[in-house]
Amino acid sequence: MNKILLTTCALFCCISNYAQENTIDGKELFGDMRARHIGPAIMSGRFIDLEAHPTNNRILFGGAAGGGVWKTINGGATFDPVFDEHAQSIGAIKIDPTDPDKTVWVGTGEIWTRNSVSIGDGLYKSTDGGNSWKKKGFEKSERISAIVINPQNNKEMYVAVMGALWGDSEDRGIYKSNDGGETWENILYTDKSTGAAELIIDPVNPNILYASMWKFRRTPWGFESGGDTSAIYKSTDSGKSWSKIHNGFPNGKLGRIALAIAPSKPEILYAAVETESAKTNGLYKSEDSGSSWTQLNNDFGLTVRPFYFARLVVDPKNPDILVKGGLYGSISRDGGKTFQDLGAQHSDIHDVVFDLEDSNRLYTATDGGIYRSWDAGTHFEIVENIPVSQFYHVSVDDATPYNIYGGLQDNQSWYGPSSSPGGVEARDWNLIGAGDGFRVLKHASKPIIYSEMQGAQYVWRYNTVLNQSKNVAPPAENDEKLRFNWNAPMALSIHAEDRFYMGSQYLHKSEDMGDTWTKISPDLTTNDPKKQDLESGGLSADKSGAETHTTIFTIAESPLDEKVIWVGTDDGNVQITKDGGKSWKNVVKNIPDLPEFTWVYHIEASAHNPGTAYVVFDGHATGDMNTYVYKTIDFGANWVSIATENIKGFARNIQEDYEQPDLLFLGTEFGLFITTNGGKQWSHFTNNLPEVAVHYIELHIRTSDLVLGTHGRGIIIVDDISPLRQINDSILNKDLHFFETNAGIIDESSGFGSTSRETEFVGANPSSLAKIMYYMKKRHTFGKMSMQILDLEGNIIAEPVPGKSKGLNIVSWDYYRKAPKVAVGKIPSFVVAPKADAGSYKVIITKGKDTYEHMITIKNDPKSTISEKDRAQNKALTMQLFNSIEDLAYLGYRIDATIDFLKDDTSKDAVKFKEELSNLKSKLVITTGDRYVQEAEPELREKLSELYNEVAGSFDKPAPVRYANAATYQDQINNNWKVYNAIEKKYLPKLNQELIKANKQELTLDSKEQFLAK
Amino acid sequence: MKVLKSLFALALMLVVSSVSAQNAEEIIATYIENTGGAEAWSKVNATKMSATVNQGGMSIPVTVYNTKDGKQAVIIEFNGQKITQMAYDGTHLWTTNFMSMKPEKSSEEMTQNMALNKNDFPSPLLNYKENGYEVEYVGTETKEGAETYKVKITQEPIMANGVESPSISYYYFDTENFVPIVIETTQMGQNVNIVMSDYQEVDGLYFPFAMSQAGQPFEMSEIIVNPEVDDALFAYPGE
Repeated sequence: MNKILLTTCALFCCISNYAQENTIDGKELFGDMRARHIGPAIMSGRFIDLEAHPTNNRILFGGAAGGGVWKTINGGATFDPVFDEHAQSIGAIKIDPTDPDKTVWVGTGEIWTRNSVSIGDGLYKSTDGGNSWKKKGFEKSERISAIVINPQNNKEMYVAVMGALWGDSEDRGIYKSNDGGETWENILYTDKSTGAAELIIDPVNPNILYASMWKFRRTPWGFESGGDTSAIYKSTDSGKSWSKIHNGFPNGKLGRIALAIAPSKPEILYAAVETESAKTNGLYKSEDSGSSWTQLNNDFGLTVRPFYFARLVVDPKNPDILVKGGLYGSISRDGGKTFQDLGAQHSDIHDVVFDLEDSNRLYTATDGGIYRSWDAGTHFEIVENIPVSQFYHVSVDDATPYNIYGGLQDNQSWYGPSSSPGGVEARDWNLIGAGDGFRVLKHASKPIIYSEMQGAQYVWRYNTVLNQSKNVAPPAENDEKLRFNWNAPMALSIHAEDRFYMGSQYLHKSEDMGDTWTKISPDLTTNDPKKQDLESGGLSADKSGAETHTTIFTIAESPLDEKVIWVGTDDGNVQITKDGGKSWKNVVKNIPDLPEFTWVYHIEASAHNPGTAYVVFDGHATGDMNTYVYKTIDFGANWVSIATENIKGFARNIQEDYEQPDLLFLGTEFGLFITTNGGKQWSHFTNNLPEVAVHYIELHIRTSDLVLGTHGRGIIIVDDISPLRQINDSILNKDLHFFETNAGIIDESSGFGSTSRETEFVGANPSSLAKIMYYMKKRHTFGKMSMQILDLEGNIIAEPVPGKSKGLNIVSWDYYRKAPKVAVGKIPSFVVAPKADAGSYKVIITKGKDTYEHMITIKNDPKSTISEKDRAQNKALTMQLFNSIEDLAYLGYRIDATIDFLKDDTSKDAVKFKEELSNLKSKLVITTGDRYVQEAEPELREKLSELYNEVAGSFDKPAPVRYANAATYQDQINNNWKVYNAIEKKYLPKLNQELIKANKQELTLDSKEQFLAK
Repeated sequence: MKVLKSLFALALMLVVSSVSAQNAEEIIATYIENTGGAEAWSKVNATKMSATVNQGGMSIPVTVYNTKDGKQAVIIEFNGQKITQMAYDGTHLWTTNFMSMKPEKSSEEMTQNMALNKNDFPSPLLNYKENGYEVEYVGTETKEGAETYKVKITQEPIMANGVESPSISYYYFDTENFVPIVIETTQMGQNVNIVMSDYQEVDGLYFPFAMSQAGQPFEMSEIIVNPEVDDALFAYPGE
């Protein structure tokens, strides 16, 4: 028995070792397959922290809630992302005041702890102004609220760790480094549930530090701010010892405390304090470095939602001007006695920075992006190129191009096209909801879109043609309260177009697009009253409905059997009906190694087998950051985990491929993971895909595009994943393997497009070029590697430059053949190349001695209204003009070469010869003027090129006048040849005779074939 | 014993720090050795590189001249017509205006930045010590699907729109053969990504014959080491 076990084990080890060897890292596999970002940036998204360069006011960094770090080098006109390879949830940014052009620090993990926040994974340092980053510890910090550097000695640094939001943690408090961030020591720690919310340093005396500690905790059903351990501490000995400075604060529990020092008068401190009573909440001021505090103001703007708005910023030059983050943001110019709202901008202001030279210029970080003000906060304008929108969900339709639908954190619901002439820009997006947006679904054939706002307060059935909407939310019956999740689930059926599902604690079904509803389930949740806390918030009540729990969260009707419906709940039930809702079975107990009550985030009912489904669980809201992905093939009776160790982050969504059942896509807190073998190995897809939380994935059936709804970087698309269907072990072992690709479509659309201005974001379009895709086992670095495209007769049509990467290479061919050779003039003449004919082409890659061959196909645009006959006529005239251009080019060459040959010959004949040739040339091409307003009148070359460009640049049958003009120009060329031949006859034989006589090299010119081949 | 122990720890520390300090130097030294050797590279006084750029079916021959004293010329041939796209003669940096087709001097700031490259021929990696450039081994990274050593090089700061900015580049050396396959650098404040392959030998030295910059590929048809170079190629033709 033992022996058998051992043998089995050895065999198993062998297999797993084998599997290990074949593991291929995402960066090695995906090669040129790159994601593209389409935004939108129109509503931007939540920013947490702003950091201004201390000496150069063109440079500013912004940290987004889920969209990474953005840098401007132009005073905020535009920003660029600089942190894409790392966790995208940002807490704090600090520029080293002693080395501001190079050294920048980023603490990850959002610190405005709303229900939907992402997590961070530590502290990062850049030594090249933000281009690249290295992690410097704090992996388990989850949220870093402040980074402080001694302005006189950058080896002395402090980090404030807020820490875990959903559970206990010892990684909290104030940490100090004496070696520039290499090693750290915890110097202020309270307990496992109290983190550091703020840390500031006295700019004049850097031995003085102030820290704000905060007791806080979130659960899936509630939030708690405040406790006995919340406090402000002061240290006067660089963090060795700390003492509470509460003289003037009320007794009792405190909540989150915002803290600021006046840089121009550091004995002045401001604190916005959350207390047990509304009366004692609000702004406190100290004019004696924290020894005593006086309450100045408890207006709404100073007390609103402390967990979300605990930021105070003092003007760098004037200690009486301060700004408090808030729903609208508040500014005081009298030292905090009175405030007024900041000017109109997106609500929820989280941070402010003043320009270092001019306090009229300031920037805000809001739930809707970064804003600039030029008049001290009275008016604001949005930065227009930061697509950090936070999608909860994404869906697609089957239009051409297809549209993408989704809802956003605090930024409504939208749809826009996957591509658009000139790129996907702000004007392409359509608003179809209000409040926070979540799930958005398009009716299969009618102009109807369903969208919703938080907690299904409204569920809109919107008619895009009539621009009319109706609230079709399932109504409560008999005064029973329906519990809808903040992000309430909705689903459509592919079996019945008008069917519409929604989930509260019940599954609701409508067969008439939401006009009437039927409950088709009992309460499918645990209905645990302990998890139905309606008094969320802690010291300050925070009743938004965001914490409604024991609700249905995901609904999946089987695409193969409409009677099979899966439902997952936020309190951990996986329910299935096989009879359209008559009976339900909770199958979660059958799932191995899954903690009880773990949130069911997504169920994917398989398109290949009615009993197969995938379930993704997410336990992060109870402090469990593990990845849970399970598969069943028997309606939930048995389950296997398909999560592996190398997946980073808890998962929220899984998408099955429609063709290759083992090709799966998983969205986690840190991006996209792909398996081609049913989950045995997962590869992280990082090509132009930041480490952003992927909340939802949709695979577009017709195009095989993978569409990601990210919670921080908008919509990201991986175009055409079909090569991944073809990957298997035998391909991975080949030196070079071509993948089958869809036929390239020769695009006939106009070049008109974008109306966006210089500072606006424009999303990339997919390439419309023909794609040649191949896998290489090894990167090609030494020796020549080339690619040729040949027609079926073996003529070389084009020679694109091949990709050399290990992994997947994608080479594009623009369908162009080679352009004609044009006569040389004073000013260059632009001619287009003729397009290749639709049909099959052979691709040959030559790599050293080896050649690899593959066939590709290109097609005419199926939308085109041009007949084959008309198209053929266009091609025929194009080639006729092509030949005319080259004929003229050869004539030009003979003239130029002769003149050049005789350039030093001053004999009478030579001079006359050259003169006559020059006169002829001046009629062939323009020989004066420039390419702008001093342009010369066109000569034959210019007129011919223009005609050729018109014909070659279009696809339809040329008008009769084009034929007539083509004939006219060819006649002119012929006549010019006659003139040339006469001149040549007159001078050349005699000239050559003399040259031979003088023992000199006679004039010989290339034949036309030689000339064209050069 | 205690002393011994701490001595051992000290030695270990020294080894560790010298490995990371030396690695960048070793990587660069191996690269130079593998591609021809420092001596052979130091004998290069000029290069002429001929490439073809393909744009919409049009083949545009490009010739790039570089000399040891920092002169440079990029000459394109557009439908048979030669145009100096940019040139630097050691004093003037100039371009051809595509509207007027006339030569124009570049801004003083760009000219000064160009002058900083005078000591970087044929590569800033060759004389980085003499030039006082900092080099630092950053770690391994996957580039072009291949494992690479990432080396950071900090050159003289440049001026960008009136403000001094650091000049930092990263070279990614293929761990198998120690030649750079990717360079990430900045030009005029913009990040530029250069990918290199098809290394081939010319007179005992190895050059990448295929390069792409910001996605635009260049394929070299010929590289000539120490070609005859006429100074007129670089000279600003005057008003």
